[in-house]
Amino acid sequence: MSIFTPTNQIRLTNVAVVRMKKAGKRFEIACYKNKVMSWRSGAEKDLDEVLQTHTVFVNVSKGQVAKRDDLSSAFGTEDLTEACTQILAKGELQVSDRERQSQLEHMFRDIATIVAEKCVNPETKRPYTVILIERAMKDIHFSVKANKSTKQQALEVIKQLQQSIQIQRAHMRLRFVLPARDGKRLKEKLRPLIKTVENEDFTEQLEMLMVFPVLQVCLIDPGCFRDIDELIRCETKGKGTLEVLSLKDVEEGDEKLE
Amino acid sequence: MGHTSLEKIIALQKKTPHIRNLCILAHVDHGKTTLADCLVASNGIISSRLAGKLRYLDSREDEQIRGITMKSSAISLHYTTGGNEYLINLIDSPGHVDFSSEVSTAVRLCDGAIVVVDAVEGVCPQTQVVLRQAWLENIRPVLVINKIDRLIVELKLTSQEAYTHLQKILEQVNAVTGSLFTSKVLEERAEKDAEAQSSCTENGSGDQVYDWSAGLEETDDSDLYFSPDRGNVVFASAIDGWGFSIHQFAEMYSQKMGIRSSVLLKTLWGDFYLNAKAKKIMKGAQSKGKKPLFVQLVLDNIWSMYDAVVTRRDKEKVEKMVTSLGLKVMSRDLRHSDPKVLLSAICSQWLPVSQAVLSMVCEKLPSPAEISAERVEKLMSVGARRFDSLPEQTQELKKAFLDCSADETAPVIVFVSKMFAVDSKALPQNKQRPLTQEEIAQRREQARQRHAERQAANQSAESPGSADTGGASTTVAPASGTEALSVKTAVEEDNKEHFVAFARVYSGVLRKGQKVFVLGPKYDPSLALRLPEGCSAADVLPSVPHMACCTVDSLYLLMGRELEELDEVPTGNVLGIGGMEEFILKSATISTSPSCPPFTPLNFEATPIVRVAVEPKHPSEMPKLVRGMRLLNQADPCAEVFAKIEISASKPIIPFRETVIRPPKVDMVNEDMGKQQKVAVIHQVKEEQTKYPEGVQVDSTGLVTLTTPNKMATVGVRAIPLPEEVTRLLEDNVELIRTMEQFSLFVWEDKTLDINQKILENIQEFKVKLESNLQGRKWRGAVERIWAFGPRRCGPNILLNSVEGYRRPSVWQCLEREKETEKAEIRDFDNSIASGFQLATLSGPMCEELLMGVCFSVETWDMKLSAPLAQQDSIDEDSRAAEPNIDNQNESSDTHETNTSSASSNRSRSGAEAAGSSVDCYGPFSGQLIAAMKEACRYAFQAKPQRLMAAMYTCEIMATAEVLGRVYAVLSKREGRVLQEEMKEGTDMFIIKAVLPVAESFGFADEIRKRTSGLASPQLVFSHWEVISSDPFWVPTTEEEYLHFGEKADSSNQALKYMNAVRRRKGLYVEEKIVEHAEKQRTLSKNK
Repeated sequence: MSIFTPTNQIRLTNVAVVRMKKAGKRFEIACYKNKVMSWRSGAEKDLDEVLQTHTVFVNVSKGQVAKRDDLSSAFGTEDLTEACTQILAKGELQVSDRERQSQLEHMFRDIATIVAEKCVNPETKRPYTVILIERAMKDIHFSVKANKSTKQQALEVIKQLQQSIQIQRAHMRLRFVLPARDGKRLKEKLRPLIKTVENEDFTEQLEMLMVFPVLQVCLIDPGCFRDIDELIRCETKGKGTLEVLSLKDVEEGDEKLE
Repeated sequence: MGHTSLEKIIALQKKTPHIRNLCILAHVDHGKTTLADCLVASNGIISSRLAGKLRYLDSREDEQIRGITMKSSAISLHYTTGGNEYLINLIDSPGHVDFSSEVSTAVRLCDGAIVVVDAVEGVCPQTQVVLRQAWLENIRPVLVINKIDRLIVELKLTSQEAYTHLQKILEQVNAVTGSLFTSKVLEERAEKDAEAQSSCTENGSGDQVYDWSAGLEETDDSDLYFSPDRGNVVFASAIDGWGFSIHQFAEMYSQKMGIRSSVLLKTLWGDFYLNAKAKKIMKGAQSKGKKPLFVQLVLDNIWSMYDAVVTRRDKEKVEKMVTSLGLKVMSRDLRHSDPKVLLSAICSQWLPVSQAVLSMVCEKLPSPAEISAERVEKLMSVGARRFDSLPEQTQELKKAFLDCSADETAPVIVFVSKMFAVDSKALPQNKQRPLTQEEIAQRREQARQRHAERQAANQSAESPGSADTGGASTTVAPASGTEALSVKTAVEEDNKEHFVAFARVYSGVLRKGQKVFVLGPKYDPSLALRLPEGCSAADVLPSVPHMACCTVDSLYLLMGRELEELDEVPTGNVLGIGGMEEFILKSATISTSPSCPPFTPLNFEATPIVRVAVEPKHPSEMPKLVRGMRLLNQADPCAEVFAKIEISASKPIIPFRETVIRPPKVDMVNEDMGKQQKVAVIHQVKEEQTKYPEGVQVDSTGLVTLTTPNKMATVGVRAIPLPEEVTRLLEDNVELIRTMEQFSLFVWEDKTLDINQKILENIQEFKVKLESNLQGRKWRGAVERIWAFGPRRCGPNILLNSVEGYRRPSVWQCLEREKETEKAEIRDFDNSIASGFQLATLSGPMCEELLMGVCFSVETWDMKLSAPLAQQDSIDEDSRAAEPNIDNQNESSDTHETNTSSASSNRSRSGAEAAGSSVDCYGPFSGQLIAAMKEACRYAFQAKPQRLMAAMYTCEIMATAEVLGRVYAVLSKREGRVLQEEMKEGTDMFIIKAVLPVAESFGFADEIRKRTSGLASPQLVFSHWEVISSDPFWVPTTEEEYLHFGEKADSSNQALKYMNAVRRRKGLYVEEKIVEHAEKQRTLSKNK
């Protein structure tokens, strides 16, 4: 029986419990806070830094240790350390404060990086810096949701940012070659999806006994790409072609301000 | 002398020979502004009592607070000597290195310069700089040796010692001038030699006589040097208000002693002494131990005066001296407790500094009319263009320059050297003036009317909306929002700063309301000659690049902080022109003749070095920031504003130096010198293999084979490091590669793109160079097999086609256009492979940065396609480049996330497709191929040892010997590496060359300056990319390493440090623990 002294009592507030149900039994292990995620990601390699004790419990808060028979039936071994690692790897846990914080921070940065990569200042056609985007995101009080993908949230945040700063998705530059018959008709359909047409060419071109007269180079919002692709594929029955000239139309390099 | 009226100055402006345009140049704190104060005081603009304390020309608030001049400012002064009246346009310039651009703009407008040297400090670095600038602009300098009082009071030198000290300073100054002269002569000589040699070889004569003389002896340089007996040196103490030239004393003593003043003039400075017995002036004072004449007659008097007034405060003696000099000193000054007051009272009457300096200026410096032909040619010939090559009409303008006539017919030529901001309140139009009777009456009438209106309005309705908007401050709760807005804009308009052009008329008369051409620095006069003959600015002209037409809005006389409005400015004067901010960026030439060439750009002693990225604190204020930047760009001749993005995107980066004051009203924070790392492969064998997911097979040589999720295609890719030279070659020839890429794109569409012969030759040369660099067994035929370059189709990475039995058109198509070789067929999905490669090179696995110097060689490529599928695919082959977007759920063009999730989604989708409908499955398939190719490239890359590459600056530091150690300390702290260190000959300065990672350079200049108390200043220039030799994934393995580096070894691993920093910045996963030691966390008690 252990002596109940201040030094060797482990308060439950400082324990992260990892649970797992296996073979109809509940197993728990007592871990240190903020350590389980590191273990799972492989950054922490020392098991002793993660586990408070190499014991498998049925209930940590009550201090009920799991029975040997249950262990061997559930994990196929009586080795406690082996059981612990299995529970650590697959059990469910409550994410602790700093783990959550660092996870959200990472996601926030990731979102900002994605936004900065995709967007430009419409005036200058130049991208914003990540830091600036981060600040703008803080200004509009954007909060990260841990269960949504960063890319999805990035697309949402672009819409929100548009109300506070001048920002725009960088346009995609596309080129279509459309057959003559469908050209006129398709153009009307495409018009609402296209931002600007840079260049249009109606030259007659004989290729494979087919006429490809309409050549268009244009800028589109990347969000419309799917629709355009769909439209061209369906309407021309695979005869029209679509080529992406650049994924994002962005000004780069030095420009002297005058 | 009383206050000079405006009318008088206007009258004087017309007398060109009596104008002197001069600037005061010196090292910082040598007394330029104080001297200028004394000169200003002589015109009664400020009290002579305040001269030297007021610093009248330091009109800005921050200048007054910091006690240094920052902006050059001009003032027009009036001076009478010998019955002649002169107008002196004085420009005070800053002495601090950071503002040296202001000096350049000032010097350009002047004909002469007063170089001020501190008697104690002697020639300082900036003195040399200003002398050189004066020399380059061909303007004549005169010397003022200032602060002689410090020799007496602070250093306590005897008059004899002071004399030798002054001599030394003079020698130093002359040495600088001499060296400038010699370098010029030698340059000319070298040119001449080159010509002579060419002619010699033509003649084929064998007699080679080398001329030793080097031309120095032939060219007379005596008039360049400063010497008191030439009258171009003044000894002064501007703070005490006295100064003299030898002339004054020579005249004084010739009367007293009966020696001819011309003799005295020659002997007063130099090794002469007065033999009292023989009543003769003898040579060799030094050897005989006698007092030189200068000491005896001049310095001793001043010394005894200082002795009496300051040191001993002997009242009787002072009075005696005052009466003997015939001066009147007010009793108030005599009784004053501060001896300085008395001293300046006496001195300013006895030897007024303004008298000495201004008379010297009027005599020795040229008037605008005496402009030398040489200088005109230099001004008119831009850049490397010779004067002779200018169009004929332009050459004719030279005459106008030399005449400098103020005739009506003479063409107007004005040069604007800088733009300076003036608060609109300071403009004369907006200034409060005493109102004339009529104006007062008029106003009264207006007020009455307004009052009546208001009453009427009040009676009709109590609506506040109709309250008078005349006084913007009294708007009472405007009913409509638009009204408030308009008031607001009006207020903003008022606060706007106006730019005034700082300019000088070189020929003709500039009038208010005149139509003129504004010629930018890049304007070419030959373009204008195509215009119809005899057109003037008033006509509507077709636009010519860098030329604009405008009307002169307003002309100002610059009087220090004040501006006086003028109607016309005749030739030879310095002036301010208002309303030009639309047309002029920094400097420009204004002329009525379109054939006028733009003047040569200013010689800047310092070029912008430091690049600073600026962004607004609140992103919504970006337009304001841009406006601020524009203002800065216009106001500071040295700042160059770029709108720029780095590889990883950032906003405008502005290269200005860090001490320059930032533009107003905009918050500027964050600087972010791009932390750009690239990833590279290096020749080393990595010990530990990383874990590979399923489906990836890696053999021992680093060949990675990957199958697409639907098992249709398999690609095998190997990563090979490129030799360093090849990488550099590729980097240098980005433009060429882009052209080639364009060409093959056009060929693809059966069109032709005409490339001119020169570019073709360049491409050929590039190819040959590549071939010569890629030698050895491994690279056999590699150049011909190049598939693509990447990233962005033109980067320093290569995709190599090593697939057996696959011949595709090479990237060198444009070279073999004539040969028209049999068209090698392009396999289906060729494009997908290339796109995969582009994506892979765009973001490496280490920290999603660009790859550099990597060659991916596709060794196997097997396709197992069903026939209908292939057919369909071949039809719209082109659309494949975009496929990753379709795959990714958000149709995003995302390039940096290539995670397993997208791959798995592919798998499920393609599985369904393969099973069922084959109609719509080609889209995803080419996407899969891209993804597979990209993944294969990444794994191939990871199979090799990886390294980071850091951008490096070369850094040049000038430092004195004392601070050398500290410079080294800062350098080594920031991972810098010293390349060489050498002593600059003749000085105690060391020049250190070092390389420094860009990532470490933030705040480097500041730190070095701080640590060395400003004695060393670095210049940073981007030089190259350098591989960081340490492996970011290295961990200690042996016992010794473990002991030495500890468990994690991150203390020493620079590459890991950088990699983690980048990953953290981008929000990527960083392999580190949230909490280092589990037990050391704060223990939360249960009760709390």
